This record gives sequence, C-alpha cells and structure tokens, in this order.
Amino acid sequence: MADFTLKEIKTLEYVRPEIEKGYTDHSLHIDISSADIRINPVDKMVKEKFIGGKGYDLWFMWNAVTGKTRWNDPENAICIASGPLGGTPGYPGGGKSIVTTISPLTGIPIDSNVGGYFGPYIKFAGFDVLELTGKSDKELVVLIDGIDSKIKIYEVSGLTDDSYELSMKLTDYFDKDKPVNISVVSTGSAAKHTELGCLNFTWFDAKRKRVRYKQAGRGGIGTVFAHKNIKAVVARWGTVSMKINNPADLEAMKTVTKLHAGEINTLDPKQNRMALVGTTHLVPIMNDHDCLPVNNFKYGQHPESHNIGEAVYEHIFDKGFDGCWRGCAVACAHGVKDFVPFTGPYKGQKVFVDGPEYETVAGCGSNLGIFDPFFILEMNFYCDTYGLDTISIGTGIAFVMECFEMGLITKEHTGGMDLSFGNRLNSLELLHQMARGEGFGVTVGKGIRKMKAIFARDFGADAAIMQDIGMESKGLEFSEYMTKESLAQQGGYGMALKGPQHDEAWLIFLDMVHNFMPTFENKAEALHWFPMFRTWFGLCGLCKLPWNDIVPEDNRQNPEPAKVMKHVGWYADFFSSITGRKVSPDDLIPMSEAVYNFQRLFNLKMGYGTREHDTLPYRSVGPVTVDEYLSRTERYDKDLTDNYKVDIAGMQTADKVAILRKHRESRYEQLKDAVYKRRGWTENGIPTVETVNRLGIDFPDVMELLKAHGVE
Amino acid sequence: MITVDEKKMEWHQGMTIKEVLDKMENVKFCAAVRLNGKLVSSPSFETTLIPDNAVIYLLPLIAGG
Ligand code: SF4
Repeated sequence: MADFTLKEIKTLEYVRPEIEKGYTDHSLHIDISSADIRINPVDKMVKEKFIGGKGYDLWFMWNAVTGKTRWNDPENAICIASGPLGGTPGYPGGGKSIVTTISPLTGIPIDSNVGGYFGPYIKFAGFDVLELTGKSDKELVVLIDGIDSKIKIYEVSGLTDDSYELSMKLTDYFDKDKPVNISVVSTGSAAKHTELGCLNFTWFDAKRKRVRYKQAGRGGIGTVFAHKNIKAVVARWGTVSMKINNPADLEAMKTVTKLHAGEINTLDPKQNRMALVGTTHLVPIMNDHDCLPVNNFKYGQHPESHNIGEAVYEHIFDKGFDGCWRGCAVACAHGVKDFVPFTGPYKGQKVFVDGPEYETVAGCGSNLGIFDPFFILEMNFYCDTYGLDTISIGTGIAFVMECFEMGLITKEHTGGMDLSFGNRLNSLELLHQMARGEGFGVTVGKGIRKMKAIFARDFGADAAIMQDIGMESKGLEFSEYMTKESLAQQGGYGMALKGPQHDEAWLIFLDMVHNFMPTFENKAEALHWFPMFRTWFGLCGLCKLPWNDIVPEDNRQNPEPAKVMKHVGWYADFFSSITGRKVSPDDLIPMSEAVYNFQRLFNLKMGYGTREHDTLPYRSVGPVTVDEYLSRTERYDKDLTDNYKVDIAGMQTADKVAILRKHRESRYEQLKDAVYKRRGWTENGIPTVETVNRLGIDFPDVMELLKAHGVE
Repeated sequence: MITVDEKKMEWHQGMTIKEVLDKMENVKFCAAVRLNGKLVSSPSFETTLIPDNAVIYLLPLIAGG
C-alpha cells in the first residue's frame, strides 16, 4: 500500500506516433497551470535545421519565452529531448537526454546532457521532445505511459521530497512487476530553497534491484522544476530492441554498433579503465599536471590527492555493470553500496551512492581542501538526495571558504560556523541547511554571483577581490579544471554559451601540455571545431565519452589525434544508418553550427550574448594574490621575461602580479577577437547577418533581433 | 624484456619511461601511461624507472570529463 496519494486530474489517451528513422515527428506540450496536454507534429523545417535533442529543446523554448521572461515566470519552459540516434541499445553512449530551461543562475538557456532512460522512453512513447510550461498551485506528478498510450496528470500528497525514496516509490507504483520499464525525473528538497537544484534521471538496475541516478546538474534546472511544483515526471516503456528506432538501414546500424562497442570492450581495459574506475582516473592525472583545483582554484595540486583518485575508488565502487544506458560498453556510471553517512537524516543508515565522478571528487574534495574519499561520498549522496548540483556546490563552497579565510565574511555571518578550508562537518551542514531552507546555507545556495552582491552589500566585503576569486562566469560556477596555464581553455570556459562548463571544449592538454595550438588562430580554430562537434552529441541523444575517452590503437598516427577521426566517421555512419540522411564527417559540424549560433542568439534575446558577458574571473587566468604567485614563481617569472619581455630584475612580487595580469587579460581579449572572427561573429560577439543567412537561421525574429543590436 | 602497447622491447637497468617514449614514433600527445596498471603522468616520465617484465600502455590523449 502506497503511503502517498495520487489523484488523477487529467488523462489523455492518444494514438502513439510510430518511430520512423529515429524520429516520431511529434512533440508533447504540457501546461502545468491548466493541465493542458497537446501533441503536435514537428515541422519539417525544424527537423532539418535543428536535428533533434538540444536543437529541438532550444527551438521550442525560443517560441515559449520572450526576452523578458525570467526563470520563475510560468512561461519559462523545461524541455527534454533525446535525439534521432538516442535509444539505440548497445551503441556506446546511445541513450542520453538533453534538458534545457532559462536558468535562475544565468538568465539564459542552460543545457544539460544526462543519462538514465527517460529521454529514450519518451521517444518510444511517441515524442521527440517534451515541453513543460506553467506553474501549479498543487504538487503534480506527470506520467507519460507509452505502453498504455496515456498521458496522465496527478495531484500528489504525502510523497517524500527525498529524491531516491521518491523515485523508488513511483517506480514501484507505476510498474511493480517490471520496474525496468520506468524512468523518473525528480529533484529534491534543496531545489526549493536554492538556485542550484538539479534533476535526477533514473534507470532501474535490475541486478542490484534499485533505482540508479544520473543528474542534469548544471544551472538550476531542478529549481525551475520545483518552482513549477512538479514533483516528478515519469516515463513508462517496455521492450527495447535494435529495431526500436526503425532505422533506415538496420544492417549498417548493427555493423557500426558492433565496431564501436567491440573496440571499447577491447581497449578500455588497456586505456582509461572507465568500466572499473569511471572518470576518477582524471584525479591523479590532473594533479600531476597542476590542473586539479585545490582551495578554490588557488593551486593545482596537493600531496594528499592520491587519497581521492582511482586507486582508492576502484576498491570502493560496487562491482557490476554500470551503464546509464542499456548495453553501453563504457559502463562508467559507478556507485558505492552500503555507505553509512555520519551526518543528516540518513546518519547511521546504509545507503547506495551513485558516483562520484571526477567533477564531484574535485569540486567537493580537493577544491574544499578535503582529501577524504568518504566525505566526498557523503557530499555526493546528499547533493543527489536533496537535488543539488555537485559542481556548483563544490565551487560555491570553495568560494565561501576563501572569503572566510580572507576575513571577508566571519562567523557572525555564517551563523557561527567555521568555514575555513578542510572543514568537513560544516560543509555538510551547509547542504542540510539548504534542504531545510534555513541558515547561511540558503545564502550559499544562491550561487556565487548573488553571494558576491550579498557579501558586499550586507557584510561590507571587498567587491573587487570577490570578483577575482569568485569562480563564475555568466552567473554559472566553473566546473573543476584549472585553466591558468591554458589560454585555449580560458576561452573554452569564457566563451561557452551557457557558462563555464567543460562539455563545450576541453583543450587544456592540447594547449598547455602539448603546445599544439601556439597561435591565436590555432586556438580559435580549436574553439570552433570542438564546441561544434561536442554540440552534435547533444543534438543526436548521445554521450560524448565513447568518442574520445577510448581511442583506436592507431589513433596517435593521425596528425590531429584529438579529433579521433575514425570515431567521427563511425558517428557519421551511425547517423546515416538510422536517419537515412547520408552524411560524411564533414557534414556534422555545419549541423551543429546552426544550433550553436541559434543558442548564442537566444542569449542575445534574453539580454546577454555579447562580448561583455564572455568575461572571466582573474583567478582562472593568473595568480590573484602574492602568495599564489610565489607558489609558482619560476613559471610566472618565465612568462613575464620570455613571453612578455618584461625586465623583472629587482621588481616586487606585487608589481609582477599586476604586470602579469595586464598581459594575460589582454591576451584573453585578443583570443576573443580571433574566436569571434572564426565563428563568423561581430567584434561584439554577435553572429553576423552573413552567418545566420549561411546557416539558414535567418528567421524574421532573428533578423529583427540583430537589427535591434545594430547588426545589419 | 618489457611490453609496450603489446609489443616487446628490450629492457635494461635504469630504463625510464621517457627513454621508452623517445624510441617510439607518434607519441608527442602522450601525457600519461599505465605502468603495471599504475598511472604515471608526464612530469614523472624522466624519473620513473621501469622494472624488468613491465607491462606499459600509453593512455590516449587526455580528453577531460
Ligand atoms: S559512457 Fe558512461 S556516462 Fe556515457 S552513456 Fe555510457 S555509462 Fe553513461
């Protein structure tokens, strides 16, 4: 007997649109305010230009919001889509969902690429994209049932906010006999009280008999979900076979699936061993190359980092298949069973933790000056349970800790808590406060940009120093890589459309370690190709990890090994085999370019999207403080003398800090010029008329928007 | 004798990872290897000694998360 009540308030029976060559060609729109459910055909133009996934999400959002819409307005939409290739069982990384909304942190579209079965299941149920708008007075659960061809909206009462428990209860409720048929999207209690809410997407792990999680973490999508009063959206679907996408050429699809999966099965054990350690192998590698964020990105390595790397987590992770999509050979979505938290509502109880991945380890570990693998597990567990983004949490608390150590904030402001680096108990207490909606945790939950304003306004903290050390750009917290020595990655973060997340471009090693792109033009070329190709995964419903985390044995003989062209060729074959649209590797970049530029224009529509918003905190560019400079004196002195021809003899360190800053900041502005030119944008970072014409996104409202900004 | 990416190579006392890579082609993007299962990153290539019968795999170019 369920201990919660679901009251059906709306049911729509529908004829399920069949999938043809990866598409259902239908969209599902649910207005939560009026419980209105609409099913529409997708226009041919939209299919050709926007491809699917993130492209579809952005198109429907563009039409749902105005330039004045704010995140908490009812018309703000949450869109979720997989893509034409999404839902192919056995293709590595072949089952992602892409979620977008107007972010509470940035005011512009945020996009998140997430595992779990939800996106594929709603496609199988008949819909290429789901759009949720409106706001309800009562808490609602939405069911998209592809087996019974029904969409239902329920009022819910008595259902916990705790995301794990909620997902398990709804899974049980909607298909007790076949829980694998269910995928639940939900958030948690802290999403209601903060702007850092994430969405948890489930899949049912039949071997472990439990729901497992992946997160659409970035940008506060969970906060928008909670604000709309949506408790959960549930998808239900049954059998999944290789034929499910009704591919144009089944044999060709099977061939390329076998090739890619076979290669991963053979080579992953020899390369990054992701099936055993997930992405935790990155911890020691980043540390050794001075790229692991330590103490709010102040330093790049720490002698205790070996305590939180793959060598430890390999032995903590529960053994077994951990694919967040069916049959994904990389199977990197690991978890820990029988973990016992030492704080909070689960104190002393055995729980399962999904993760941690590299970002969580670095964000909630080294960046807080904490090198305890079990503490990181507890942060991971409570972030998921409360519906919080581990990256913004890690980077945000790191900022608070540095402010505390600098005396910018004191115990008087933190409710008596010592928040210096390394304080494990008080870091966890901040999470519990966010879940309860009380104390200093609520301030931290507003994100760095708003904290900076509050600390300056209410506590008299120095705004200039907080601008330098607050690791956010466009309002979004940085993900967990040190960029001081990689100009290309500074660009990868600063010019990323949604804010500093590494999924657009990850160029640190090519640039910093291998010096592969010495000129501005080289960097600009990389900051064109990589963001475009990475965007393509989000259009198609795929995960990017199988592209370049396991590579062919002969890849290093390729003049540009970073592109892994053999795999790019397989992706083109995969796309052709399903959609019937014959493409070559060269065709994939222009597909993304249209969507990429459209997203930049979307930023412009929302009042952003120009050069001034592609700025970086100086902490991501060079040493802010004298002691930071002194920690790498040789490196910075060499930069001044060799690259900028500065005579530093007899110079005070503070002066060296200032001169280096002037040069490095100017270099970043030069990079912006080169990148904008390569992308076909004006000097102010706006796509030119020629660019939008070339890409076929010259819609009347786009042209009007450009005109309003003086671009004609 | 050691094995590097499944090819045999003569071993000698005092052999380092840098020395092995210097003998190979197309390795300029190698920033980390697995030496008997353990990660070794490029800053330590010159100082990491290879034991006899070691098994080494070159990791692909580091691609981030
Ligand atoms: S590679 Fe990892 S994250 Fe990507 S789909 Fe497979 S299991 Fe999920």
